Amino acid sequence: MEKWECTACGYIYDPEAGDPEHDIPPGTPFESLPDDWVCPQCGVSKEFFQKID
Amino acid sequence: MRTIILGHGLAGTMAGKTLRELGSPAEIIIIGEEKYPYYPRPNLIDFIAGDLPLNRMFAFPPDWAEKQKIQVNYGRRITGLDKEKMAVEIDGQEWIKGDNLVLATGAAPLLPGIPGVEKKGVFSLRTIDDAQSLLEFLTAGPEPEVVVLGGGLLGLEIARAILKRGLKTVTVVEYFNRLLPRQLDETGARLLRVQLEKMGLKFLLGKEAAEIEGEGKVSQIKFKDGSQLPAGAIIVAAGVKPRIELALKAGLSCNRGLLVDDYLQTSQAGIYAAGDVAEHRGRIYGLIPAAFDQARTVAYNLAGQEKKYEGTVPANTLKVAGVFLTTAGLILPEGEGFEILSRLDEEQGVYKKLVFKDNQLVGAIWLGVKKGGQEISRLVQARKDPGQYKSNLLADNFDFSRLNNL
Ligand SMILES: Cc1cc2nc3c(=O)[nH]c(=O)nc-3n(C[C@H](O)[C@H](O)[C@H](O)COP(=O)(O)OP(=O)(O)OC[C@H]3O[C@@H](n4cnc5c(N)ncnc54)[C@H](O)[C@@H]3O)c2cc1C
Ligand SMILES: [Fe+2]
Repeated sequence: MEKWECTACGYIYDPEAGDPEHDIPPGTPFESLPDDWVCPQCGVSKEFFQKID
Repeated sequence: MRTIILGHGLAGTMAGKTLRELGSPAEIIIIGEEKYPYYPRPNLIDFIAGDLPLNRMFAFPPDWAEKQKIQVNYGRRITGLDKEKMAVEIDGQEWIKGDNLVLATGAAPLLPGIPGVEKKGVFSLRTIDDAQSLLEFLTAGPEPEVVVLGGGLLGLEIARAILKRGLKTVTVVEYFNRLLPRQLDETGARLLRVQLEKMGLKFLLGKEAAEIEGEGKVSQIKFKDGSQLPAGAIIVAAGVKPRIELALKAGLSCNRGLLVDDYLQTSQAGIYAAGDVAEHRGRIYGLIPAAFDQARTVAYNLAGQEKKYEGTVPANTLKVAGVFLTTAGLILPEGEGFEILSRLDEEQGVYKKLVFKDNQLVGAIWLGVKKGGQEISRLVQARKDPGQYKSNLLADNFDFSRLNNL
């Protein structure tokens, strides 16, 4: 599954790890994150993320 | 044990958050003058573009601070600082005392010292309040011709956001003769300009503002060379200055920023600083990753886990939809011993440049292609030697994931 990076702070969302601290279970693809999910590191909205290919 | 954090921007908030993550039992009090909970400033760009409503600006749910047992007092200004007593004065009224202080007062927009900057219709962008008054002005009455002073990252992102809002005439004015003078070389800047012009932005380069004119509110801007440009609204995006007022008055050592050592301690033991206000080894970053690293380092030291801060390699991504630009590290090396590899495709608008020193990748420009940009940027930040892959890095079909195993 594809990883996505926060263009503001560099945080990388890894779907395999999810974001358990914010109730996102491991295995959740970036596209399936809720609209109000924000970067767990700096807090910017989803729109600031870019796919790493 | 009580830690008082001055400022609730990224650095102040992350210092408090990290302290809790480290299991610190300290009482944590954050005081900030903005009347909103913490929000990341890049969101302001999306807010101006109309892509993000105000209620989605904030990073944490409303009960976050309470759950973290962090006392956040926002809408309150710190008006005094006593470094011997470790005390701060709030709103000119009460003093509170702590055992440690963290100065995270950030930076404020730098306004040019030219006649007319105080006129109605001149804006800068740092806070939600700034963004709201700018939007109110732009959308009231007939559509103004917008001028953005400053062709750096922030200026370009603001200009693009205003276009996206639906305004038609947006001109970016830059003092240097190229865009992003700190992140790009001549070639990169030329290509970027072409791409942004295609999106509808206008540019005036090599122009220095002399005066802002207008009766009651701005109507035009005059340049040192005598030329002029109609302007119904002006947004200044010409850099920031660290907010060291309190530190200076309290007698903490300052240069342009508040001076800190490798433990991010100021000239007074027990008083730390992090973020845009801090000057470390002669550098003031003004960037989120640096503010973040510094805030975390402060928290470790406060929690009794000694930690050094060695600096952050600046990396930037221009957040303009449809334009891919990532730059990192040293892109205009001066002096001996540098090796440069580059590839330019004018037609495709692609420019890649890699700067090496002793085989380590120390700088990169990645324009016009997304593929590889983030990997290259990380390689620069880790100051890695790409070894056997060096000669492949500029190839379009290179599998960049291989760099992860270096
Ligand atoms: C529109 C915009 C977009 C940006 N985009 C990016 C980006 O994409 N990537 C990136 O790396 N950086 C970006 N930046 C820069 C980034 O926002 C800053 O580096 C970051 O905010 C620094 O955090 P800080 O906590 O040090 O300072 P600040 O965010 O400035 O926070 C300081 C806080 O302290 C408060 N304060 C100051 N003095 C007092 C006082 N006396 N009493 C009480 N409170 C006080 C201020 O009101 C402020 O809320 C952007 C900046 C802006 C304005
Ligand atoms: Fe982030």
